[in-house]
Amino acid sequence: MNLSDRIEALMQKVQKPVRYMGGEYGAVMKDPEKVDVRYAFLFPDTYEVGMSHLGMRILYHIINRREDTWCERVFTPWVDMSAEMRAAGVPLFSLESRTPIRDFDLLGVTLQYEMSFTNVLEALDLAGIPLRREDRTDADPFVICGGPCAFNPEPLAPFVDLVAIGDGEEETLATIDVYKKWKESGLPREEYLRMAAQIPGVYVPSLYDVAYNDDGTVASIAPKPGSGAPEVVKKALVKDLNAADYPDKLIVPYGEIVHNRIMLEIFRGCTRGCRFCQAGMIYRPVRERKMDRLMALAEKLVANTGYDEISLMSLSSGDYSCLPELAHQMVERFAKKRVKISLPSQRIDAILTDTLKETQKVRKTALTLAPEAGTQRLRDVINKGVTEDDLIRSVSDAFEQGWSAVKLYFMIGLPTETDEDVLGIADLARKVRACYFAVPKEKRAPGLRITVSASVFVPKNFTPFQWCGQLDSETVIRRQMLLRDELRKIKGVDFKYHAPDLSYVEAVFARGDRRMADALERAWQLGCRFDGWSDQYRHDLWLRAFEETGIDPDFYALRERPMDELLPWDHLDAGVTKAFLRREWEKAQRAERTQDCRKGCVGCGMNRYEGACDK
Amino acid sequence: MRMLVRFGKNARLRFISHLDLQRFLHMALNRTGLPIQYSQGFNPHPVMAFGSALALGWTSEYEILDVKLSAPMGRRRCEEAMRFALPDDLPVLEVKLVDDRQPSIMSQVYASDYVVRMNGEGADAVLSAIDGFLAEEHVTAMKKSKSGEKEIDIRPLVLSLERCEGGFNTRLMLTEKDALKPDLLARTLAQRAGVDAPEMRIHRVNLLGKNDAGELVPLMEQ
Repeated sequence: MNLSDRIEALMQKVQKPVRYMGGEYGAVMKDPEKVDVRYAFLFPDTYEVGMSHLGMRILYHIINRREDTWCERVFTPWVDMSAEMRAAGVPLFSLESRTPIRDFDLLGVTLQYEMSFTNVLEALDLAGIPLRREDRTDADPFVICGGPCAFNPEPLAPFVDLVAIGDGEEETLATIDVYKKWKESGLPREEYLRMAAQIPGVYVPSLYDVAYNDDGTVASIAPKPGSGAPEVVKKALVKDLNAADYPDKLIVPYGEIVHNRIMLEIFRGCTRGCRFCQAGMIYRPVRERKMDRLMALAEKLVANTGYDEISLMSLSSGDYSCLPELAHQMVERFAKKRVKISLPSQRIDAILTDTLKETQKVRKTALTLAPEAGTQRLRDVINKGVTEDDLIRSVSDAFEQGWSAVKLYFMIGLPTETDEDVLGIADLARKVRACYFAVPKEKRAPGLRITVSASVFVPKNFTPFQWCGQLDSETVIRRQMLLRDELRKIKGVDFKYHAPDLSYVEAVFARGDRRMADALERAWQLGCRFDGWSDQYRHDLWLRAFEETGIDPDFYALRERPMDELLPWDHLDAGVTKAFLRREWEKAQRAERTQDCRKGCVGCGMNRYEGACDK
Repeated sequence: MRMLVRFGKNARLRFISHLDLQRFLHMALNRTGLPIQYSQGFNPHPVMAFGSALALGWTSEYEILDVKLSAPMGRRRCEEAMRFALPDDLPVLEVKLVDDRQPSIMSQVYASDYVVRMNGEGADAVLSAIDGFLAEEHVTAMKKSKSGEKEIDIRPLVLSLERCEGGFNTRLMLTEKDALKPDLLARTLAQRAGVDAPEMRIHRVNLLGKNDAGELVPLMEQ
């Protein structure tokens, strides 16, 4: 039987076979004889999650626009499928052509989340690719990681060949160009790594030596002598997003995926400067797509996909400089085609209300707001520029216009947090409820639903909170219970929270160093997979893996790091300077705010990139 | 005016559920650019129906999509638009335009033709049970439905049954009241032969309705 038939035989035995099916409308098929480079793009989670990810859609399109390269997709098979594949000896395969992943030239891996790291190892193993870089041969692809977690790739260092940090559009194409050059040269495998280390934004972990102090902290990270690798790797940056390529067609999946709609990125970066937010730091500066470009893209995407919803994506879509006009034009042009316009991550301010009115014309969704913290003091600490008045105004407007469902997102365990801050969350929920009942009964929509979600704060690298310790689990649980009991007293409020275990391991990896790799591999050997899925997560196995590999997870997650400590990612440059992050950390401790940089430069360091930041 | 589209479902896509296929075709119709008639209401959707839902795992060369158009269109234009909108593994095989007054395709379905191919142990035993089955006047089998299991006489529902290369061809009743699925037929044959049902691949070849003379004819030829 050929591989395709063997895959078919397994698909009958697993749940959701559509995950492994391929053959969707818009999937790119090419003649393998007519391309020079075969590129596999791995999203280390399920099909439904991976297909909802914008970055993958952009890179798939950009790579496939090249005639010399064929990019195909691959996802980590769910646990039932991986068991079947191992039993039947079926290797990990691409969705488009069902080619074994090991036969590809390059394997791009996007790292969206620390808790998907075991899924990367699982995919490599299913593909038959040696986990450790030094065990790979010419029969194996080069493994290239990108995405937000690539800004601290150290826990994965032994498993990857290259790390691409920053915007992927140009950088990814450069790794392919250099691959072709290397292939023509006939030089040994190692040479590709040295050549690739010269690409802006590309970091080659194996070309760097790391030394440690007796207390376990990092003593030095430096390029190996003669390697030619840069001392500091600066992230890649696409300066002009208007000129950047963007898909005008998309794969349309059968079946449901998490975000099944047109994703239109209206800008990249964020000027708000929320201190907990890694995305807000590493994707600077703000770069907008012009309205005419967005309208033209939307037109093509609607015609080419048949979707009935366009989501205007960004880190903070309310900040788009002419959002009311954009929303208005979009609604006007697409309402007659029954296409709905939606805004994710809605922010609380005056402009929102007008925009809501526009989107409401087509269809209505739940209002989602993220005050993040329960008191003004703590919101100042995290630099979340939202006041209680903003919140009250937004929900009041929404209730008056017929909304009845509000979701409020918060974090527990933010730096300097006290019990009063946590109780402040209940206080806000109470006020939101009062806003609803302040609207005359005949004017408001029936069935008030307030959902309060509280996640556990995870300090991330390249944020002002990269030095602070995560709140210990005991205190987190105590405060969750405190809040739960308080919210129970309010009618119509639903409280969502999670055990802090998972966030603790996430914190370990977010700021881990190379020594974490052994623990990661051990956890995978013990059976950890899909750790971001609470039904799969095995805290006991993780603790065992740490113990067996001599890793003290508290050292990474809970310890407050002194300012003069060398951090495991200090040889990477995310655009914002360490001096800026330190200033922000100090201001946070004084509960001092920093303004939105659209109102004036805050000196984050992005102006070191010529022409990147005109503010 | 209504557009009848006969399309196939190739092996690669056989695990798409009927519900998912409906959603997919909804979007596919959006991208045809044809004047599709939409339903009224909060979530408008194209006014469309199917000949008969295909079970998960089966393939077909006779699926019929019945779509209402809001304005007259040329047949060739419709066919081109449908080809553009559907992927290779849902091939457009035939497009026909009919008057609104023609009864819905679903109401006309009377029977369906299938090819059942079997693999491995038990396949021969199943095939050798065919003659004995055809000689019977009544054959009872347990039919599973949403409300539970029910004993029915399947013999009258089998309009024809004959061996072919690697399996059998069969014509089975497919009306709202009387319907038999080919996998139940195969399992019944296996049971009569005293073997476990073998692995099988089911392919729909035709959907048939009755013409004015009471003869069975393919639905697209009515």
